[in-house]
Order: sequence, then structure tokens, then C-alpha cells
Amino acid sequence: MKLIPCPLNGLRNAEEFVCGGEVQPEPDASQLSAADWAQHVFHRDNRAGLVREWWLHVPSGYWFIAERDTLSDRFLRSYPASELFAKRTPVGPAEPGDR
Amino acid sequence: MNPSPQHRRSFLAHRQAVLTAPKAIAPDGLVLVDLSARPRLGFKGRGTPAWLQGRGLALPGRPNEATPQADGGLLLRLSEHEHLLLAPLSETDGQCQALATAQARERPDHVYPLPRQDSHAWLLLAGAAAADCLAKLCAVDLRADRFGLGDMAQTLMARVSVIVARADLAEHCGYHVLCDSAVAEYLWDCLLDAMAEFGGGPLDQAAFASGLRNPEPP
Amino acid sequence: MNRLPEPFGCLIDRSRPVRFRFDGLAYTGLAGDSIASALAANGVRVLSSSFKHRRPRGIYSAAGHEAGVLVQVNQEPSVAADERAIAEGMTVSRHHKGGRWIERFDRFLPVGFYYRAFFRPAFGWRLWEPIIRRRVGHGRVDPGFAGGEHDKLHLHADVAVVGGGPAGLAAALAAAETGAEVVLLHRRPRLGGGLLWGRPDAAGQHGGDLAAQLGAAVLAEPRIRILTAATVTGCFADRWLSAVQGARLIKLRARALVLASGQREQPAVFRNNDLPGVMLGSAAQRLIRLHGVKPGRRAVVATANDAGYGVALDLEEAGVELAGILDLRPGHPPGDLRQAAAHRGLPILQGRAPVAAEGRDAVQAVLHAGLDEAGGERGRLAADLLCLSVGGTPAAELAVQAGATLAYDPDVAGFRLTGLPEGVFAAGAVDRRFTAQAAEADGKAAGREAARAAGFVPQPMHRPTATAATPNHPFPIFPHPEGKDYVDFDHDVTVADVANALTDGFEHIELLKRYTTLAMGPSQGRLSALNAARLLARARNLPVAAVGAPNPRPPFGEECFGHLAGRGHHPVRRSALHPAHQARGAKFMPAGLWLRPAYYGSDAEVAVRAEVMAVHHDVGLIDVSTLGGFDIRGPDAPEFVERFHTGSFRKLAPGRCRYGLVCDVAGSLIDDGMVCRLAPEHFYVTATTGAADGIYRSMLWWQAQWRLDVDITNLTSALAGISVAGPKARDLLAPLTRDLDVSAAGLPFVGIREGHIADIPVRALRTGFVGEVAFELHVPAGMALALWEMLLTAGERLGVRPFGVEAQRILRLQKGHIIIGQDTDANTTPAEAGLALAVAMAKPYFVGRRALEIRAGQPLERRLVGFTLADPLAAPPSECHLVVRQGDIVGRVTSVAHSPVLNQTIGLAYVAPDQAEPGIAFTIKVRAGRLLNAVVTKPPFYDPAGARQA
Repeated sequence: MKLIPCPLNGLRNAEEFVCGGEVQPEPDASQLSAADWAQHVFHRDNRAGLVREWWLHVPSGYWFIAERDTLSDRFLRSYPASELFAKRTPVGPAEPGDR
Repeated sequence: MNPSPQHRRSFLAHRQAVLTAPKAIAPDGLVLVDLSARPRLGFKGRGTPAWLQGRGLALPGRPNEATPQADGGLLLRLSEHEHLLLAPLSETDGQCQALATAQARERPDHVYPLPRQDSHAWLLLAGAAAADCLAKLCAVDLRADRFGLGDMAQTLMARVSVIVARADLAEHCGYHVLCDSAVAEYLWDCLLDAMAEFGGGPLDQAAFASGLRNPEPP
Repeated sequence: MNRLPEPFGCLIDRSRPVRFRFDGLAYTGLAGDSIASALAANGVRVLSSSFKHRRPRGIYSAAGHEAGVLVQVNQEPSVAADERAIAEGMTVSRHHKGGRWIERFDRFLPVGFYYRAFFRPAFGWRLWEPIIRRRVGHGRVDPGFAGGEHDKLHLHADVAVVGGGPAGLAAALAAAETGAEVVLLHRRPRLGGGLLWGRPDAAGQHGGDLAAQLGAAVLAEPRIRILTAATVTGCFADRWLSAVQGARLIKLRARALVLASGQREQPAVFRNNDLPGVMLGSAAQRLIRLHGVKPGRRAVVATANDAGYGVALDLEEAGVELAGILDLRPGHPPGDLRQAAAHRGLPILQGRAPVAAEGRDAVQAVLHAGLDEAGGERGRLAADLLCLSVGGTPAAELAVQAGATLAYDPDVAGFRLTGLPEGVFAAGAVDRRFTAQAAEADGKAAGREAARAAGFVPQPMHRPTATAATPNHPFPIFPHPEGKDYVDFDHDVTVADVANALTDGFEHIELLKRYTTLAMGPSQGRLSALNAARLLARARNLPVAAVGAPNPRPPFGEECFGHLAGRGHHPVRRSALHPAHQARGAKFMPAGLWLRPAYYGSDAEVAVRAEVMAVHHDVGLIDVSTLGGFDIRGPDAPEFVERFHTGSFRKLAPGRCRYGLVCDVAGSLIDDGMVCRLAPEHFYVTATTGAADGIYRSMLWWQAQWRLDVDITNLTSALAGISVAGPKARDLLAPLTRDLDVSAAGLPFVGIREGHIADIPVRALRTGFVGEVAFELHVPAGMALALWEMLLTAGERLGVRPFGVEAQRILRLQKGHIIIGQDTDANTTPAEAGLALAVAMAKPYFVGRRALEIRAGQPLERRLVGFTLADPLAAPPSECHLVVRQGDIVGRVTSVAHSPVLNQTIGLAYVAPDQAEPGIAFTIKVRAGRLLNAVVTKPPFYDPAGARQA
């Protein structure tokens, strides 16, 4: 069984993890055509080589990001999601006077 | 919500009727104790470490470390901002009640209480063969010389999520195992099954506590 | 008896006889005997009939490498007779008896006949199958076999060493010396490997001495954990080994790995090379030295290396007469053992090879010929034993599984390991260090390298170079015009079969393997892959290196179902109220990993009806602990809920709840639940039983990207839930609480309050799932049992009754409430399900918003509607029966039940959008193609104004 490096829990057996698919930040929906949105929802690059993926360490409920070479199936590095998603994302204008 | 201890029951209370006759832990024995009725609670949020420190608790330096408290309790650090406090194995509840009351009163910023007494069952496996027994259910290396006092792990045991930490039982080797309360009975049965080859069995909490105070001569 | 005196037989205990039966006859062996060695000691040579030609087969490797030794032991099929130790009272039998007549028709049964003969006509297979099934296979499976207890164990090592021969023992010691913790796995019961049975020097002493010395050192080293009789069956990613030891499957993770699995002697190919009495030289030595069994009376040894002379010397010492030593090599090759044999006057025939064995049930004579072009004069040697020492191949299955490749090296005329992955090292004969001394030195160096890879810092050491001299003959294959020249013994594949496969176009080694089934039997090509590659290369006029070896797959060695299935661990989630349900005679049903009461009592129909009526007339209790529950706390709690759910909750007042939907990014419904606001910055959100885990993961995943100032806590197990439902619910609760006003004004429909019931803290939600006045009490799981019992006691006078999921399904259907996952599928949009009101498209963002916007512009394909039957007395349809229109499928029934309250059949179904208006009739295709008329009926079917829930 493969070992997967978790930034919080260290090297653990793959059975402790769930893969969340390629990291693909959500685009601004208002700027996308229906076809482009479908592309975003349903299509993945499935690259041969370096990919960036979401992984969940199930026992600790911890999502992180790992870089994996799909040709050698080796994990190159993993890091907390905050490295890529550092700030609170503003999606749409907040309703005035709500906060 | 304030706890009302008189109504609280262990998730395994209905199994306690079939416990074998209480016996002290022999040095080479292996016993499983249900500590689910013992107090424990958790806090998370980015204000948690500072607030706990301000309350006089000794904080683990990094996630997945456990630090014993002066009163015999054990503070587990589950992530950067999440902690779990286990009451001492004596009759007192340590600082559990005091912390809960203080949090409710002070409502410190970014400190969110977690009802760990209800979300998790608390089992303790003790005895010389404890690590060998857990190796039948868990893939993490829990041998005493590799997983020492102060170590803890969030992992799978018999395919369910658990928090495991070494228990400081003087001359005995022991492990705290906390699991989702809904799988308490499942994991209890898995552990009893795994213990059978070592001649181990369940022990009730009072007998265990008295055994700790008056260990049998080896 | 063929038993030899001491010092032969290092594994047997002559003071402990063991009685067993083989094919109905009683035999006696000694403790330490394998089934095969005990039978050999008793003069029994035939252990089985071969797979296809039903030829007699006996010991070939004495090491479990061929199908010919597979027997039935008691109820257990496919046991290797040369590996399994005999036990008192054991009953052993052959898998097949008789049927040898078929061998006379072998020319009509070429390779591939099976595919060509039986696939046409189509009905023919029904005729052939039972006949073929009876003839093939390795043993009988007894469905009544109780089996034994199996379990699994995890082990960890800094360095794991596979193989307990000289290389493995030296590697374990060298690694342990650096401070590394070592696990040593050895397939046999005693450490030593080839040292215990081989003859490394002319005197025949060195092997045993070295084994004793290394074995003692390993036993004395506390950092080495020794597992004997443990077969490593697989080597997987990141140095993860599976091993079988007795009834236990071991999973071992090592930081570094030394594979010292040795080499395996290979047969020569000639006519009748499968007859009992023909065996590998190492097999004869194993019988002599391990079990003290004399393998024959008069022997021929065919050899291409010096070790073959060691076999001859061992045979002579064991009292076997040497009829001749056929040395396949030309000239006068050097070698200490050859010299010793010559010195003793053993008859050496240089440059000669065995070309056929004679005999029917066992070998009686060996025909030999010269190896030059002319072949020279044929010779005949009478013998009952023919030992083959023509070379070997690395026992490299585990290394190949780990990622190494077996490459053919013409210099050694055999396969060689290349490309071992990081942290994996090979040592000893598996890596071409053939002598005991070289293997030991190599093991020591590999042990240090492995320790270094595991993070220890040993003194570096030079590895000895691989031996220049090779034990391998490059082409020990002597085809015979009349066949019976077996390349693969498992499936009776001959030289001609390989040629036929090539004629049929199967030229790649992997295609050849599949077409001929060569290397596909129980031994996975352990004795055939090398010769097959040589044959294929010669036929295609290629170097063997260009042909390669077929890929050996895990498991290596036997793994029984018990090993895989034993202690599988299937988690079960139980509500805190489970013991109370058990005590009340609940029938449980699975809901995800949970067990939920379906109903209480023995008669389902009676119980469900009574439970429905209790809720309708009085008051019922249902355990809803399995619902997901999440606290969303912090300044951004409203923002999080707005983003995650489709509805609008910003203006939801504290103390109020609202029905909430969750969509995925494709705009499909994935869950529903109640969104409750406890405080301005504190929401409590529920989820359905089956979706709770996924919703929690999804919440955490979105939060990892949104980075809102919010905390998400999963309370699914922390809060048990009891729904108190029925017209008398208030009468039940009011006397039990001091701080909760349960009146319609105090706690109105879709309100939430925190307070106490019978001193137990609760979150009380007024919900409407079952259509009566209902309070969902969410309570700390540890106190739920006490509350449940108090409610039952207090409600006795009101006729309170627990109800299960079955009754709840009927009650909710009466109200037309959908169940996500039952009434929806992976494509259902809120609009299709009639839930558009729960979607706030005016919000700037929520998960699935853009997709819903796009899908709203497309024509609606179906609508979920309520229906009743045109004929109230008609038999109801079932869930998933199709809604049809003019022969086309337009939808399906998703829920259907008989309502005892309304006394009619009600249901939900997808219909075409233009069929969705109440009163429209549509058609359901039910069992046997019958058509049933239904009428769209606007839900709720029951209490449409909601008067009963005020």
C-alpha cells in the first residue's frame, strides 16, 4: 500500500485518505459561457506528469494539497491548502448592512 | 448546554453487565476499560491555544502531541487550533468542568467548545501485550519504543477513525483510544476479539482504578 | 523404508512417528516430514495426475514450485505436499485419479483446442461445461468446510529481510549491528536456506557449519525479529509486504528491504522429463539432507555446473548407485566438486545430455546423446532417478512486483535483476552470488546498504562482484519428435505447443503465455518461464534478451480466502438508543453504516400500521440520531450557510429554521435538511443519514478554499435525536420541562429553542416531516437513552409508541416530502423535484448557482409529481416501475406506499413536464408488462393546509 505524506499527520497508508481530484480554483462564474462552465465542471486535464490534487486525511478531517507525478505515481510534496488559498475569497458583493 | 451528570451513561453501559469479574491488572495481563463516562472536552478555533494557556494548561508544542497536566489529565493537540482534554484517571474531573464554565462565561473570541464526551467514546487498553494487540487492528507503529508517552495519532483502527495516545500508567503499558461514539460497541467488540489470544478481557473502571492505586506485586 | 541414518535428515525427529493416510492407505512418517517426503520414505512416488494429460507426477523441486505436488488435505484443496508438514491423523488424497487414456489423444488436443473446439455452436457449451468442469481444477471445494480462524497483523521494520539463507542471515545481522530493527521472514521452518541441503564444498561440511553459526548469531541478536514458515506473498508500493504465516496475514511496512530470496533450479526439457523419478538435483539433496530420505537406488545426474557434482557426491554418500553423470558442457571444465567426483571414480560422461527418459509410471532408464552437430551415438543408462542440475533462475517475483525487471543476460545465460526501486536491495543467489561465501558477503553488504537507506549510518562496504562462472546451460532443451517434452508441467505445455502458438501468431511472451497457459498455472512459471523464453527466442531468431520473461503477479505462494477475508472488519454505527430498540424487539435495517429500527415487533404489516396510527392519533417516538448535524459558528457563519445552501438564510431570525437544499457544482440535488439559526453567528444545520459524511467533507473542502472566519463542527454522533410526533406530543412534553414553552405560540412550526426536558439539555426543533405536531429533540448522545426511557414512561398514559423507518416513510409520503437519493438521482435539479422555492437565484453565489442558471435555460425534461391510482383497488406499482407514454419511457416511480390513514395507494413519480398538472392520467408499466393507470395528484395527500402541524 502506498504511503501518502500528510502535512498534519506525516506519512500514512493510502487507506486513510480520500482523493478530492485536481486542484481547480473556481472561476468567476459570471464571466463564463455555459460551455466554459461545463468545461470547468466536467472536464479534467488528466495530465501525464505533475498534478496538483486535493487529498483528505479522513481520521482528522484534514484537506490538503499534494503534488504527484502521475507517470511514476510518486508524491513529490504536500502542503496545507492555505498555501494556495491564503485569503478569504470574496464571492459576489455582500448584501449591504448585513455584517 | 450544561451537562447533567445524573443522566449520563456510557455508550457501552449495556455491555458492562457482562464484564468478567473485576480483577487487577497483572503485569503481563491485558485489559480493556470503558472510560466513556469520564469527563473530556475539546476546544477549537484560532483563539484556543492562547486561551488554554491563559487558563494555566500545559500546551503540547505541535499537533499530534499530548501533554500531561499537573492534575493527571492529558491535553491532546489534534491540529494547530484544536485541543482535547482528557480528565485524570482518578475520581476528579480535573479541569474539564472549570474550563467549560469559564468558556461559557467568558465567551473568548474564536474559541469554540466541542462536546467530546458525546461525540467520542473513550476506551483504554492496558497491559504488556497492548501494542501487539493493537497491531492486529491498526497500521500505525504503536510499539512503546516508537510511540512514546506524549505521542498521539489520528488514524484508522479496524477501519474506523480513532485518536490514539499513550496512557501514563507507571509500570503498565497503556493506550487511550477515542472513537466516534456511534462505533463504540463495534470497536469494543473488535478489541475484545483481538485481545482473546493474549488472554485479555474487559475490566470495569472502578476495579481498574483501584488496581492502579494498589498494583499487584509482580 | 528409504530412510537414511544420521546425519542425514536435519529436520526430522526420529523419535516421533506420525501416522497419516494417503489415498485410503495408512502410512507412517516422522515429525518434520512433509507429506511428500514421508511418502517418498514409504516408497510412494506418484503424488498426482497432471492437469491435461493425466500423467503421473511426483516430487520435482521438493520446494513447492510445481502443481504436480498439489493434493487434497482433509477438506483443504491445493495443498503443496512438499511443503505441508504431516500431522497425526491427516487424510491426504489425490485431486484426480485415472483418465490417463486422454494422453493417447494429445495430438488432437493441441494448445488452444479449448478455445477453438467449444465456442461453437453456442448451445454446445452447456453440454461441454459440466464435463470439462469435472475434469479440470486442482481439488474440490467443500462448501460446508467450516474453515478456521484467520486474522491480520501489522508489523514494522527499519529493515525487512526476505529469505533466511546465507545472504538473508548476513544481511539481517549487518543491518541490526547498525542499530536498525530488523524483521527476517523465512519461508521454511528452519533458518539456513540452501546451506541446510546444498553442498558448497567437496567435504560437504561447510554449509551446515555456516548455517549453525549464522543462525545462532541471528537468534542472539535482540534487534532481529524472526518469522519462520512465513511466506512473503507480495511486495507492493513503498516497501509494503504481505506475508502468510499459518492462519495469519501479515502486512509489513519497512523503511528498507533486502530481498534474499535465492534462486530456483530449472529443469531441462526432453521426452518424458516429467516422469516420477526425474527431479531437480536440489530436490534430491533436500530429500537426503532435510528429511533423510533416499531418493532412488540407481541415479543419473545431468549437469551443466559444478553443483551437479555435489548432487552426485551426496547421492553416493546416501548409498545411491551412480549410473552416470551427464555433463552438458564440452571439454574439461574446472571445479572442486567435479574433481572430487572424478577422484572417487564416479562415471562422468562429458558433453552428453539426457534426450529422453523411459518408463511408464516412473523413470526406468535415461537415453543420452552427444551435444555436437552429429549428436553422436545414443546411450542408455538404466536408472530409477534422474537429477537435473542445468541451471537456475533468480527467485525474483517479489523484486519484480516491487518494480524491478528481469533482463536476460547472455553472459550468465539467465535472467538478472535490474532497476530495483529506491530502498529495495537484492542479495545472494537472487543477484547472482551463487556460492555460500559470496552470498554471505553480499548479504552483509546489502544489509548495511539497507540500514543506510533506513536512516542508519553504517560503515560502507564493497559488495563482492557477481560470480563470473554461471551455473546455467544456455539451451537445455532437447525436443523430441514424439512429444511429451514438457516446458510447463502445470498445464502440460510441450515444445510443440509453443511452436503451434507461434504458428498461430502469438509471438509475444505475454501472448504466448495466455494462449498456451504456460506460466499461468499454480506455479506461475517458476519452472517454465526461462525455458519458454529460450524456445521463443530461438524460434523467432532473436536474442533471449529481446523476448524477456512473463510477468509474475502476486500472490507468490498460496493465500487462502481465509487470509483475505478473515477479520475483514466491517464497521457498524449504532445510535445511542440502540439498546432500547433491541429491548423493544426492533427489526433493524441498514442505512449507510447505521442500523436503524425498521419497525418494532415480529409482523411487519401489523407493526407498521400500528405505528402509523399511533402517530396519527396519539404520539410516537422515532430515533433520528442518524441525521447529520453541524454547528456553523463564527462571524462568517451566515456567509458560509449562504454559499453552501441554495436558499436564503441571512434574514432567518434566531430561533427559526428553514428547509435547506444543497446542490453540487453541476446543479444536481445532493442533500436537504434544516438550517436553524440559534444565534446571529451560530447556525445548526442537519443533513440526511446517508449524506452526512459527504456533506461534512464537502463543507470542509469548500471552507479550505473560501477561508471564511467560521468553525464547522460535526455533531452527528454527539447529538442523538428523538422526534416526538403526534397530536399528543405537547401533552407528553409539557409536564417534563420548566424552561421550554412547547405551546404553538411558544415554539411555533419551524422554530428552534434550547432548553431542558427532564433536566436533559435539548435543542428542540418544530419540524413537519411526518405531518403531525412534531418536536425533534437533539440531545447529547450520552443522555439520549435516559431521555428516551423517560419519554416512554411519561407517555404511557397517552399511548406513546416508538415507530421505525417504515412507518416514517409512509407518514412523510402522505405529506409529499421527498427523500434525496430515493426520489432524486444524480441529475435531479430542484426545479424537477418541485423545490424551486428553496433556491434563491437572486443570491450572487451559492454552490451550483451557475449550473442552475444554465440548466434553467434548457427545456425541463421531467417533473416529480404525486400520484394516486385510477382504480383504488388495483395492486400498487413498485419503486422504479417505469412511466411510459406511447411506448417511450418518460419517467419512473420513486416512492409508493399504501397509506393506512387515507386508505389508498399514494406515490411519487417522474413524468413528462406536460403531464405534471393535477388530474392528468398517466401509465405505469408494472410486472409482466401490464399497464396501470395513475393520476397526478398534488401533494400533500394528507392535511394539505397543514392544520395538524400548527
